[in-house]
Amino acid sequence: MSWIRRVGHRLGQYIGRVPVEHELDDELREYVRLLTEEKLASGMRPAAARRSALLEVGGVEQVKESVRSVRAGHVIETVARDVRYGARALARTPGFTLAAIVALGLGVGASATVFSVVDGVLLRPLAYAEPERLVVVLHDRANPAAPANYLDWQAQANSFEAMGAAEYWTPNLTGVDRPERVKALHVTAELLPLLGVEPLLGRVLSAEDGEVVLSYQLWQRRWAGDPGVLGREILLDGKAHTVVGVMPAGFDFAPFWATGRELWASMSMAGRESNRGMQSLRVFGRLAPGVALGQARAEMAAITEGLERAYPATNREVVVTPLSEVVVGGVRRALLVLMGAVGLLLLIACANVAHMMLARATARRREVHVRSALGAGRWRIVMQFLTESLVLSAGGCALGLVLAALATRALKLMGTAGLPRIAEVGLDARVLLFAIAASVVTGVVFGLAPLFQRADGSIASALRDQSRSTAGGRLSRARSVLVATEFALALVLLVGAGLLIRSFVALQAYDPGFRAGNVLSMVVSVQGSAEAMPGRRAVFYPELLNRIRRLPGVESAGAINHLPLVGGTWGLSFFIEGLARPQPGEKPSAVYRVVMPGYFETMQLPVLRGRALSGEDDGNAPGVVVINESLASRWWPGEDAIGKRISFADLDSAQWLTVVGVTRNAAIEGWGLPPEPELYLPMLQVQDYMDGPSSRHAYLTLVVRTSHDPASLAPAVRDAVWSFDRDLPISDVTTMGRAVSDVTAQPRFNVVLLAVFAAIALALAAVGIYGVMSYVVSRRTHEIGIRVALGAKPSQIVRLVVGQGVLTAVAGALAGLAGSLLLRRVMASLLYGIGPADALTFTVAPVVLTAVAALASWLPARRALAMNPVAALSDEQSA
Amino acid sequence: MPRDGFNREGRGGMARQTTNLLQGTLDLLILKALTSGELHGLGVARRVGDLTSGTFEVKPGSLFPALHRMEEAGWLVPKWGQSENNRRAKYYSLSAAGRRQLRHEVDEWSRVSVAIETALKST
Repeated sequence: MSWIRRVGHRLGQYIGRVPVEHELDDELREYVRLLTEEKLASGMRPAAARRSALLEVGGVEQVKESVRSVRAGHVIETVARDVRYGARALARTPGFTLAAIVALGLGVGASATVFSVVDGVLLRPLAYAEPERLVVVLHDRANPAAPANYLDWQAQANSFEAMGAAEYWTPNLTGVDRPERVKALHVTAELLPLLGVEPLLGRVLSAEDGEVVLSYQLWQRRWAGDPGVLGREILLDGKAHTVVGVMPAGFDFAPFWATGRELWASMSMAGRESNRGMQSLRVFGRLAPGVALGQARAEMAAITEGLERAYPATNREVVVTPLSEVVVGGVRRALLVLMGAVGLLLLIACANVAHMMLARATARRREVHVRSALGAGRWRIVMQFLTESLVLSAGGCALGLVLAALATRALKLMGTAGLPRIAEVGLDARVLLFAIAASVVTGVVFGLAPLFQRADGSIASALRDQSRSTAGGRLSRARSVLVATEFALALVLLVGAGLLIRSFVALQAYDPGFRAGNVLSMVVSVQGSAEAMPGRRAVFYPELLNRIRRLPGVESAGAINHLPLVGGTWGLSFFIEGLARPQPGEKPSAVYRVVMPGYFETMQLPVLRGRALSGEDDGNAPGVVVINESLASRWWPGEDAIGKRISFADLDSAQWLTVVGVTRNAAIEGWGLPPEPELYLPMLQVQDYMDGPSSRHAYLTLVVRTSHDPASLAPAVRDAVWSFDRDLPISDVTTMGRAVSDVTAQPRFNVVLLAVFAAIALALAAVGIYGVMSYVVSRRTHEIGIRVALGAKPSQIVRLVVGQGVLTAVAGALAGLAGSLLLRRVMASLLYGIGPADALTFTVAPVVLTAVAALASWLPARRALAMNPVAALSDEQSA
Repeated sequence: MPRDGFNREGRGGMARQTTNLLQGTLDLLILKALTSGELHGLGVARRVGDLTSGTFEVKPGSLFPALHRMEEAGWLVPKWGQSENNRRAKYYSLSAAGRRQLRHEVDEWSRVSVAIETALKST
């Protein structure tokens, strides 16, 4: 009972009637004394009398306890009664109550959802030890570093207490019953300790070669969480590696450029210590204690200068960035815009509830005075109104939290592939607190509004009807301002949503060059298998494609080294026959694709001139290449590119490749980006792919066009691969449709969200103006009755009311337009294909708004007209 | 009275019956006790005893919660004054609402007792 006592006590103090503890004490003490004296008078000795009295009382402390609980119980009872009373009062006006709860619920729900997302993605620190001290050290434009430079940095930099490096590694896991390509990283021994996360099992890597640490997911997936995996040897790319540790669940490295890595292997720098050319390492560091980022940056700049002097042309500018910034930097702006938008929404919702409560408060002025006259204490009335509005807030908050929970779940399912860390977003305690705080503040502030009207003084005048006075006045102006503000905010949201919608439509209209429907793809690697032997690949891949083409449901099949949009891009520079040797930095270069015959027809990428590559373009035939329009027009503008020649080797001892075809520009890495030069080589003519030892050339991405659902053919295609060799790892099974959808995920997410907000805002503003106009009309019933009696036509009345509503809306809209113009820069980076001051959007949005306002004003006007004019004239007190 | 010891018999020499009082009955008695004027805690207890000729001895464990409860309900008005020994004591008196409540309780009691009597008379 003690917490009840505490609550009751505090509340009671406000109500002013709790007996301070010592009063109760005094009272009981006096009782005991009087009782003792009675007993003395009846002849007992003093000590016996006192003892007897105390015994009769039966324990002073217990008596005090029971009094206290009676008191507290009373307070609880009062509060409960107020809540019941408040709930009944709210139930008597169901329209108002529902509207207010919904408004508040929408506002709180939307802002709680966005806050969870922003909190989960932006605000929450990364899951490493002291993540704010972790930095990424790269060259400008995020270029990785060369091994020799890394080693020099590590040796010379004092600003970091530790530095480590990592590079991509995608080995084949074989020797198990389902071989797969594992997404891994080669890391230096310092890297995992630098992050400060303790492994779940075993230990982190030492400087020894051949050790690996598994991720929790990989451990669960392939070894079912068996702790005996420690010390076991596994085959990666055919070589034995020892498992020395397992990282805990939730550990993710690297969190930006190489996501979803499942294995970390020791990296050996052997043979690369003096290599300053190959840039493959991403470098991470932990700032030494007491060192600021600025100092680290300065030191790295100095070191780079020194290295540049010693080894010219190998050191570009070095950039040190905090890790957290690198992880979320890309989406920070979008998320902040979202926060702003939802903040607007919450404001609109609160404004709505505020003016609804004000309207209601005006109507209840009489009630307040009557209750005062009947003897209700001032505080009681305050408490009752406050309780009522807190009940309303509680309802709104509850609704809001339910909406937020649903929305968060929906967002995660929507596959918001663009947002980092989205999987970890949830409705946590902070969001809950935020929602509750928002509702309580709204409830308290606007629930106290009725009190600000009791200054009238004389009760009699309050009881006497006031409705014949003009409908103007301070309160009415406040309401109009509130509604105008709602419209201004709603307009800003509408404009934002409109811009994003138009931008999204433009994105959808983007033509990726190929046709993405019904195409299945998967990556097949031959690394470490028999097919990788010299001479075998030239036979294996064509035979595999033939076998796939014979499968039922397959229309065509081909292969490419990297799939557009999701497969990564390699670039290569080349020389053009007839062109003088170019300056460094101006070398012609293009995206480098290696294909098997059938690729163009499978992807339905049209060849505009010349021909596609065929099976006859093999090692014995003349070297050929197919280029895209962008390359053709860049280097042979105005001419026909067919027949021109390029080469990759030095001009003098050239092996020329002849251009035999020009294709449409295809999307390369992203959606809606400008076209880039791209060239396609036949695999059978590329030595690296035919025989090269590097794992980078030992895989191809199959593409298969199917007549029906491509995903359903995946097992058949996999079996076709394994029919050649059970040990061939297959990975990245997906469809082009899904790839496209992933790439457009972020803009789609933005649009959907903002459109929803704008719709809600508009609905709220409409309800707001409907409410205000209803109220105004009801207050002016008397006036309207007179006008009708004097011969005013219905249309004139309607015009009067609608006019007032529209005027308010227009005032708000103008303010909103000004606001939207101010936000141009913020929106610009999120748009595609249109500018942030797009004329169409800026015209349509205010028109929509005004139309909604007119409708919302028209309905109450019609109701007013439907009234009997006689009743209107004699009406003294309106609803 | 014996010189030492503690006479467990109540005043008036009658065997005291500690009867369980229903809350409502206690309220009724307390309100009645205060009709003739304000009393402090012990005074109320003594008056109730007198009114019922010793049948009901109200102990502080039931008395004080009842007094405070009725004060919260607005039936009793508290006042701090001087007790018989010139010390601070809390006095209670009936409010207008308290008088109304007393009338109400009396009516209730009559109704109930008539009903029970009728029930007992029938065979």
